[in-house]
This record gives sequence, C-alpha cells and structure tokens, in this order.
Amino acid sequence: MTITVTINGTSKRLAIEPGERLFELLRREGYMGVKTGCGTGDCGACAVLLNGRAVNSCIVFAAKADGGEVTTVEGLERDGRLHPVQEAFLDEGGIQCGYCTPGMVIGAVDLLSRNPEPTEDEIRQGLSGNLCRCTGYVKQVRAVQQAAAAMKGGGNDG
Amino acid sequence: MVPTHIRDYIRPASVEEAWNVLAERGKGAKPIGGGIDALLYSVPETTAAVDLTGLDLSYVRDEGGLAIGATTTFTEILEAEPARAFLGGILVEVLEKVASPLQRNIATIGGTLGSAHPWSDVIPLLYVLGAELSLFDGQASRLSMSEYFARRVSGERPLITEIGLPAEGKASACAFEEFSSTGFDVAVLNCAAFLSVESGRCKTVRISIGGTPALATRLTPVEEALNGSPLDDGTIERIAAMAADTIDARDDRRATAGYRRDLTRVGVSRCLRRIVEQLGGVE
Ligand SMILES: Cc1cc2nc3c(=O)[nH]c(=O)nc-3n(C[C@H](O)[C@H](O)[C@H](O)COP(=O)(O)OP(=O)(O)OC[C@H]3O[C@@H](n4cnc5c(N)ncnc54)[C@H](O)[C@@H]3O)c2cc1C
Ligand code: FES
Ligand code: FES
Repeated sequence: MTITVTINGTSKRLAIEPGERLFELLRREGYMGVKTGCGTGDCGACAVLLNGRAVNSCIVFAAKADGGEVTTVEGLERDGRLHPVQEAFLDEGGIQCGYCTPGMVIGAVDLLSRNPEPTEDEIRQGLSGNLCRCTGYVKQVRAVQQAAAAMKGGGNDG
Repeated sequence: MVPTHIRDYIRPASVEEAWNVLAERGKGAKPIGGGIDALLYSVPETTAAVDLTGLDLSYVRDEGGLAIGATTTFTEILEAEPARAFLGGILVEVLEKVASPLQRNIATIGGTLGSAHPWSDVIPLLYVLGAELSLFDGQASRLSMSEYFARRVSGERPLITEIGLPAEGKASACAFEEFSSTGFDVAVLNCAAFLSVESGRCKTVRISIGGTPALATRLTPVEEALNGSPLDDGTIERIAAMAADTIDARDDRRATAGYRRDLTRVGVSRCLRRIVEQLGGVE
C-alpha cells in the first residue's frame, strides 16, 4: 500500500507493507536516529513524534502515519541549530553511550510541549517509558530542567 | 519483524462498514484502536487490520455521567476536563499508572477492553465505576461489563463503540490500589472499590480484583456482605479477609496464590479506608 506522510517537514509518498511497523519504515528511509531496543514497546529507544505526540514507533503500524506528521530526532534542529532539549542534554552530560538519547530527547520535547514547567517528579514520570542503561537519569532530569528554563526564555520551541 | 501475514490495512468510514468487513472476513480480520496488541500478539491467522480510528469515536463527553468513545487514547482521556473532574479524579489517578506517556499516547480504551489482559488496571476500575458498553454487531446494544465478557466467553466479538460511566451522587467515592514490582511494570494484582452511602450505611458497593492472575471480575458475594452495613474498622477487616478468601487465586511467574490473597486483603482494606477518608467518615 502507499501512504503520504510528512517526515521532518518533507512530504513523502511511500510504499509500505500493511503489517509493517513505523520504526521499520523510518529506518529503511534512513532516519537512523530511530533506535531499536526491545521492539516490544518497553524501552522508548524508538520514540518519535507522531502528530505531535511521542510514541514508541515499534508498536505503531506504519499505516497509522498516513496523512500525518512524523518527527524524528533528526527533525528537531532549526536552521542548523540544535533544539534546546538537545543542547541541554549536551551541556548537562545527559548522554553516555547515546543509545537512549534520541528517544529520551523526543520524550522530553513532548513533555515540555504539554507541560512547559514540569517539576522533577513530573519529569521522572513523563520520561518513565525511556529507559537508560548508563546515566542513572540524574543528569537527564537536569537537562530537561535546563531546557525548560531555556525555552521559557524564548528561542527554538521545536 | 514485519507481521507479513497482515496483507490488508483497512480504514472504514463508519461503524457499519467496519462491522461488515469484520463479518465478511471472519477470524482473519482484527479491529484495531492503537494497534499495540494487534502488533505485539499478532497471530498468522490475522490477514487484515481494520483501523477504527476514522469512525469519530475519539471523545470524552459530560452527559451527566461520562461518555468515552472507544478509540479515545489514555492521553486524550487524561487531558479531557470532564474525565479529570469525574468522581474525585479517579480516572487520572489510575490512568497515570498505566505504562508511560509513550504507550498512553497510542493505547485506546476500547483496545484495552478488547485485549482483556488479566493485569489491566483499567478493567477493574471500569467494573467498579459501573461502566456500560455500547456495542455493535450488526445492531447496536448496551451491556454491562459482566454481560460483555460473558458474551466473549461464548466466542462473540462485538465492536465496542462507547464506554459509559453513570453519574454518581455526592456521597460516593472510589479507590484503586495497584501492586507491581516497579512503577512501570504491569500489576501483580490490583484492587478497585466503589461505594455510595446513605444514612451511614453502604448502599451501592462494587469491588473488583484483577490479576489473580485471571481477568478481573466483581466480587459479588463480598459486595453483598458489605451492602447495608456501616463501614467501621471491624467491618473493613472482615470484608478484606472475605475478599482474600473469595478470589480465584493461583500461582504464576509473578506471584504465588498465597501472596495474592495477602495483597487482596491489604488492597481491599486500603481502598475502603481511603473511601471512608474521602467521604469524611461513614458513621
Ligand atoms: C510496554 C507496555 C506497558 C503497558 N503497561 C500497562 C499497564 O501497566 N496497565 C495497563 O492497563 N495497560 C498497560 N499497557 C497497555 C495494554 O497492554 C495494551 O497494550 C493497550 O491497552 C492496547 O491498546 P490498543 O488500543 O493499542 O489495542 P489494540 O491493539 O488496538 O486492540 C487490542 C485488542 O482489542 C481489539 N479491539 C480494539 N479496539 C476494539 C473495539 N473498539 N471493539 C472491540 N475490540 C477492539 C483488537 O482486535 C485487539 O484484539 C501496556 C502496554 C505496553 C506496550
Ligand atoms: S524499541 Fe520500541 S520501545 Fe523499545
Ligand atoms: S546513555 Fe546509554 S542508554 Fe542512556
């Protein structure tokens, strides 16, 4: 079947298998920021924004993106500048091996779009589906706090 | 892995059309809301996915009680003002325990009922809220949760179109208690209770336990024992012990039957105490 989907701002017509998952489609199309961890909806490494909401792309039919918009981590920068959440992850050292980072950043972007001033507890709850094997989460929580402050002051709101 | 046996992805435009496709294709076609479980537990017999999200069934309406469309996601329910305000915010309290936003942005309330996972947090809650389900299987009908699950046992799979939660009076409250290994893990056992009181006595009583490890049911004998009685400490402990004896507890990889009985006693007791607190005492 053929679907029309806007990925990172570019409209595309793509041939897909009816039973295919969104993360298979995205990786085939070269969006390598979409990672595969568990493939069962548990780890969050494959998170992307589907119509503005962060979802695990391994548990979504690719066909569900038809007529919609997908943003992967590659689509967050504007005019060559990283998104404030990406900047904050770098600044705070919220990245070690980096495998969880794209999903974690996407989760944080969704969280901040709904709740621009989250408490620490709300950040931890909001990112509870993004598992990280390396950091212990402390610096990632701080990164989201820093991003929230930066975004409040204006700038790239993704 | 691509479930290659799914050869058709069908997007009907009306409930009737969806039902006709399902009826025509029989076991080969699966209705999907979020489609999570349709993907994760995909079986080779399934050759078509019938996406229900184009049927205008994503809504939360205040109609005295609540009317929730079957394809409404948990996130959409959590963000809907009438759902947030319903019965002291119990829907928010429970739905925020379901997985994380990454799954709640996809999973639908109809899909949760369709999957009927024994550990579902939502099914015991809907039981005690007295939910009624609007169904369609060529004709429209409205059934209680128990009636719906009884129909499924006999192999029927009507489409769920709406979940209705009746309006509750002022002197009523609901509480929920989940036991799981981690905040994100599914429940080892969960308890839900609803009570309305009149003149210091329990009037409407609904108690449901899920993950025993069987699918949640109502504990009718326990409800009847509490009906008409005051809600003092002694009664709470007696009812909680009775609930622990009543459940169909078994061992599985998550817990033993004995542990599940203990959890039931503690869970029911906590739920009833919280209800007393919310009602400002039941004297
Ligand atoms: C990692 C993870 C953790 C989770 N944790 C929890 C948790 O802690 N607690 C909890 O309660 N849930 C939890 N869930 C969610 C739950 O397990 C289901 O995945 C989810 O509710 C399915 O919703 P869906 O809309 O995607 O269902 P679908 O896959 O769309 O449907 C599920 C089933 O229902 C049928 N169906 C769908 N819609 C209808 C309808 N309108 N009428 C009739 N039949 C229908 C389908 O044919 C299918 O058989 C978790 C899920 C994941 C992936
Ligand atoms: S790969 Fe999708 S959630 Fe783990
Ligand atoms: S940085 Fe390694 S998994 Fe998170």
